[in-house]
Amino acid sequence: MYSSVSTAMVVGSAGHAITVEVQVASGLPGFHIVGRPNGVVREARDRLRGAFYSSDEPWPKTNTTLNLVPATEIKTGSALDLAMAVGILIADGHVDPAAVRGLAFIGELGLDGSIRHVLGVAPMVAALGPVDVVVPSGSHREAQIAAQGEVRTADDLPQLLAVLRGLRPWPDPPPPPPTQLHDDLRDLQDVHGQHVARHGLEIAAAGGHHLLFVGPPGAGKTMLAARLPGLLPPLTDDRSLEATMIHSAAGMPLPAGGLVTQPPYRAPHHTASRAALIGGGSPSLWPGEVSLAHGGVLFLDELAEFTPSVLDGLRQPLELGTISIDRAAVRATMPSAFQLVAAMNPCPCGGGPPGTCMCSDGERLRYARRVSGPLLDRFDLRVPVARPGAHDLLDGTPGESTASVAARVRRARALSIERQGTLNAVLGARRLDEHAQVDEAAKTLLYDEISAGRLSGRGYHRLRRVARTIADLRSVHSDEPVGIVVADDVALALAMRTPLGTSSSGWAV
Amino acid sequence: MSGFVAALAGFDRMTVARLRALLDHFDPETAYAVAAGNCVADGPVGELLGRHADLAAAWRSSAAVRDPQRCAEQCRHLGVEVVAATDEAYPMVLRSDPWHPAALFVRGDLAGLQRRRVAIVGTRNASQRGREHAARFAVELTEEAVTIVSGLARGIDAAAHRGALAVAGAQPVAIVGNGLDRPYPRVNSALWAEVAERGAVVSEWPPGTPPDAFRFPLRNRIIAALAEVVIVVESRDRGGSLITAREAAQRDVAVFAVPGGIDQPASEGTNALLRDGAAPATETLDILLALGLDGRRAANRRYDPRPQLHGRAQRIADRCAQGPCTLEMIAEEVDRPLGETALLVARLERDGWVRETAGWFETLVGWDSTPT
Repeated sequence: MYSSVSTAMVVGSAGHAITVEVQVASGLPGFHIVGRPNGVVREARDRLRGAFYSSDEPWPKTNTTLNLVPATEIKTGSALDLAMAVGILIADGHVDPAAVRGLAFIGELGLDGSIRHVLGVAPMVAALGPVDVVVPSGSHREAQIAAQGEVRTADDLPQLLAVLRGLRPWPDPPPPPPTQLHDDLRDLQDVHGQHVARHGLEIAAAGGHHLLFVGPPGAGKTMLAARLPGLLPPLTDDRSLEATMIHSAAGMPLPAGGLVTQPPYRAPHHTASRAALIGGGSPSLWPGEVSLAHGGVLFLDELAEFTPSVLDGLRQPLELGTISIDRAAVRATMPSAFQLVAAMNPCPCGGGPPGTCMCSDGERLRYARRVSGPLLDRFDLRVPVARPGAHDLLDGTPGESTASVAARVRRARALSIERQGTLNAVLGARRLDEHAQVDEAAKTLLYDEISAGRLSGRGYHRLRRVARTIADLRSVHSDEPVGIVVADDVALALAMRTPLGTSSSGWAV
Repeated sequence: MSGFVAALAGFDRMTVARLRALLDHFDPETAYAVAAGNCVADGPVGELLGRHADLAAAWRSSAAVRDPQRCAEQCRHLGVEVVAATDEAYPMVLRSDPWHPAALFVRGDLAGLQRRRVAIVGTRNASQRGREHAARFAVELTEEAVTIVSGLARGIDAAAHRGALAVAGAQPVAIVGNGLDRPYPRVNSALWAEVAERGAVVSEWPPGTPPDAFRFPLRNRIIAALAEVVIVVESRDRGGSLITAREAAQRDVAVFAVPGGIDQPASEGTNALLRDGAAPATETLDILLALGLDGRRAANRRYDPRPQLHGRAQRIADRCAQGPCTLEMIAEEVDRPLGETALLVARLERDGWVRETAGWFETLVGWDSTPT
């Protein structure tokens, strides 16, 4: 007898629909899985047999062949278990084929017959299209995000088979979890003093500029960076769905509402491997941190401590907003449009005011060179952060709160979208003269900087984008109509481009 | 003859005292023969070799690799002159020193030592202001025909040499702690070459000697012995320049220290010197008076081409002169928004009044010879 059951697997952050064909034919007992199963899928035989035994279902006594369609793709993941079990039972004549028409099955089987949660239910359900899906009861909410048909749940194989045999109705879906109050503990008002760094953060949020904090340990770089997502607007619907798929595929817990709506914040440790940061771990090419940060903020603390080759992998996602993982037999492209925030010390000893650092010029230069020039170039803002003074720390007045800064950021972002359709950070070089005009005093200042050799051609364009954002924020702050960029804006943008690897101890550099 | 001295100086376990003992008692050729074990010695050298049997062995093996002719050839090739203490060319001022080196290796011309001599030394990790002060003293003293003696290290030493070279006719003298075949530190190669061309670079070690840490304190005693006045511009609490100051004090050479803020790590050593009785060096006139030169006319000649400061710009420059400032400290001082402050600072930076290092702004005194 033959049967055919729908299921799906996930590669990268995308689901792929799979059909399980089963034939139980006469012949010597045997069990074969064809259609390029990988290790996990091949092991399904033993999980299935255990589950059948625990559920008092007969294991086929003759030659059984499973074919996973399309046969050319490598199959991976334990999500195929449930469909295989149902397919075998139909082919062996224990379940009516009509009962599974229009149904797809996703779930891993335990030896006790229980149906277990798998990673990536949301993208798998999305790939299945307009069918009803059966998922583990823990995955109900995740499946519902992407489902076009009904979402059915089952806790274990006997329960599912009872439904399929018409002995009982589908179990009720689990009650939605209590909605948690969104309580973000990271508020900007905890940051005392640090006016330059706070302003840098605000500019980064308003213009979408990548940001590098440079300062000694204990200056508050990490604290500042963690407060950037709070300044960003909620994700658009498209972004939200993409981010949710990625989170589901990576097995990250989803927020109470199901969809990821707030900008994610990811802060991988500096020992992160290439696969962890860029993606592509395991045969199903797990999404990396660049994709998990999609629509939000990727924060790299101790930037110079990251493996340089791992960091260079960031160049493609920074350029294109997507990351392609290509392996010999499988490839995936995942969204990875994130805002990069990084922090580093100015030198190995941590730095501080000139005259306090004991590092030699060579050490400083080697340290700065660990971050490649092309990557360093992507940071529109390189903001120096000094340790806060004692009076700033002890002074009880809190800094400005996230809510009021976020309101300004929202208005400044709206200004730039209205003017040019994009955020300032991605404004094309040719459109700068149209949308980011500078006045005469600002031109003189730029001329001085370029002729003194402190500003390169590419740096010039980046500087003008940042100055545009500063001008936008200035008009939001003073409630005046947006004007052209003035010298103050350019000067501040220059102050937020501190050079790296310079020396405090000689002519060496 | 010079080949024997050059070969001897590079022997394994050769020290300043041992080389002196050899060359004081024998002519170079005999001294070489004694050290190589080809000739039996009496007197202090004989005692020395008798006391340390392993020393004789070490020297014998050194002699096998250090051929006098080859050493002489190497020095000639590098343009290095070997000056033994008995030679005419050996600086008079050094010969009278109890710890004078038995031989000097010289690239360039020691004529500068005929003039008045001031040593300018200090920390390698100097602040911008420290380097500027070193350069200013060097320029103004050189203009008064004083020769600057220093050690060609990074930081203060390099700034002093650069300052001296900025004046036409300068003949600065650099005393270094390694062989003259390879400039150290490498970043100062160009400076090293220029000092050798216009003045002299001097070492008591033969070419090929690595820059071992122990050689620098020894080098400092030569600087102290050559100088009539030692100026310590910046030094940490245990800096090598304090060794120079101590050596100078032992030789009754006047020690000046440039006062610094009591909270500046780069001035800990100089402030300690002032506490211990060194004279404060606040302007070049102090030094000229100590040398018995009337420098008042020269001091008035100073010309600063930078535009004069007024109002807020003046306040910013004054604030940064008290110590490095961040942009927000400056904004607080003038009580203006960040953007406006940044513009004021950018203009000061353009006009050469302040300079930024990793987010910190420092005032320039106007003697900045740093290429930008």
